[in-house]
Amino acid sequence: MSFDLALILDSIPKMLWGIGLTLELLFVSGALGLALAIVLLIMRISGRWYLSAPTMAYIYIFRGTPILVQIFIIYHGLPQFEFIKDSIFWPILREPYGCAILALTLNTGAYVSEILRGGVLGVDRGLKEAGAALGLSTTDRFIYITSPIAIRLALPAYSNDVISLMKSTALVSTITLLDMMGIARTIVAETYAPYEIFISLMVIYLIITWGIQRTFGWIEKRMSRHVRSEA
Amino acid sequence: MDALNGWWDDFFWSSVVVVEVFVVALILTVLFGLIGAGAKLSGNRAALSIANGYTIVFRGTPEILVLLLIYFGSAITLTAIAQVFDPEIKFLDLPPFWAGSFAIALIVGSYATETFRGAFLGVDPGQVEAARALGLSNFKTFIYVRIPAMWRLALPPFGNHMLSLIKDTALISIIGLEETLFIAAQATATTGKPFTMFIMVGAIYLSLSTIITLSVVVLEKYANRHLEVAR
Repeated sequence: MSFDLALILDSIPKMLWGIGLTLELLFVSGALGLALAIVLLIMRISGRWYLSAPTMAYIYIFRGTPILVQIFIIYHGLPQFEFIKDSIFWPILREPYGCAILALTLNTGAYVSEILRGGVLGVDRGLKEAGAALGLSTTDRFIYITSPIAIRLALPAYSNDVISLMKSTALVSTITLLDMMGIARTIVAETYAPYEIFISLMVIYLIITWGIQRTFGWIEKRMSRHVRSEA
Repeated sequence: MDALNGWWDDFFWSSVVVVEVFVVALILTVLFGLIGAGAKLSGNRAALSIANGYTIVFRGTPEILVLLLIYFGSAITLTAIAQVFDPEIKFLDLPPFWAGSFAIALIVGSYATETFRGAFLGVDPGQVEAARALGLSNFKTFIYVRIPAMWRLALPPFGNHMLSLIKDTALISIIGLEETLFIAAQATATTGKPFTMFIMVGAIYLSLSTIITLSVVVLEKYANRHLEVAR
């Protein structure tokens, strides 16, 4: 057993080939997941049971099961049904990439919607009442009063969720996709040097995590600049 | 549902494996969390930087990567050591059960470190001073005063860590542990009904996480029972 430096220098560029896919999965399912989360949030706080009950069930199921199981149900499970193979979605669901995006989106949507709800519930009631007293409609109050404050309150928790989404993208290597993790597993299978390869990959992932944290730290600072200037 | 006939006992015993992994990993998680929190609060600079490194690395890298590094890393190290004594040995590994439990406990332990650290800081210093004044030793103060006061604060976030732990057990099937996902893959190969099998796995995990959520509610009630009277 030895630590092979040449192998590390040789494999880092190979693994970085997969960073495009890792980031693509992160951005695409992150954006779609956020959109889904907003829809779920509006259904959840609508006050109508036929909208909020299914949403609660959805969130309960997707937060209560492992993301790996969700990926397997979508990738391995759905082709069991003929009607899915005949449907217009088959070109997407046939590809591991489409399944990965779908699974990550559905999963992160459930988590983010709860985070956003936490933000909305944290908004001071007096502000909404003031909006009502000024004659703003429910929709206007939600867009101009609740949302800006709720987003600021939810940001720290949201940045943690983006990091867990980034970590979840590594699971797509289990359904044959060659992201950084997939490439690393291939190299380890060939060279049998887990320490060299996996530790280098850990460093790459840590840099991405750090980048996400810095970005959100900057956004948080910008969004709460009026709070700081008062203090 | 007919496809499940003949697989019920396999699913049952593999769920028992999941629970076993969970229990072992939970004990280790508490241990790692307490050690990490202790190191962070010790005031010792070396211990602090090691603990900081621990939380940064294990919270910032994908779970599957940590798992594979520990499993394959320990395997080549053990093989190298074994070959010193007996050159005939070709491959020696930690059983996936132990490597897996250890890996997920390391990951969730890094989150528990932060939780316990915050909870220890939240303990009323007056209580600790009172214990000192009564002549309790440092060790007794820790066991009888700090821990009971701390775990009440740590319980709600620790409940979430337990949920992460149960969901992370699904990953251990990747290194060959015969738990529910492993059985589902086997059952799919013979019955050709992947959706049924993987949904079954999802249902098992959903029940397990429901049990954990309910237990945490009961535990929180128990931990706060002395506050009931005041209400």
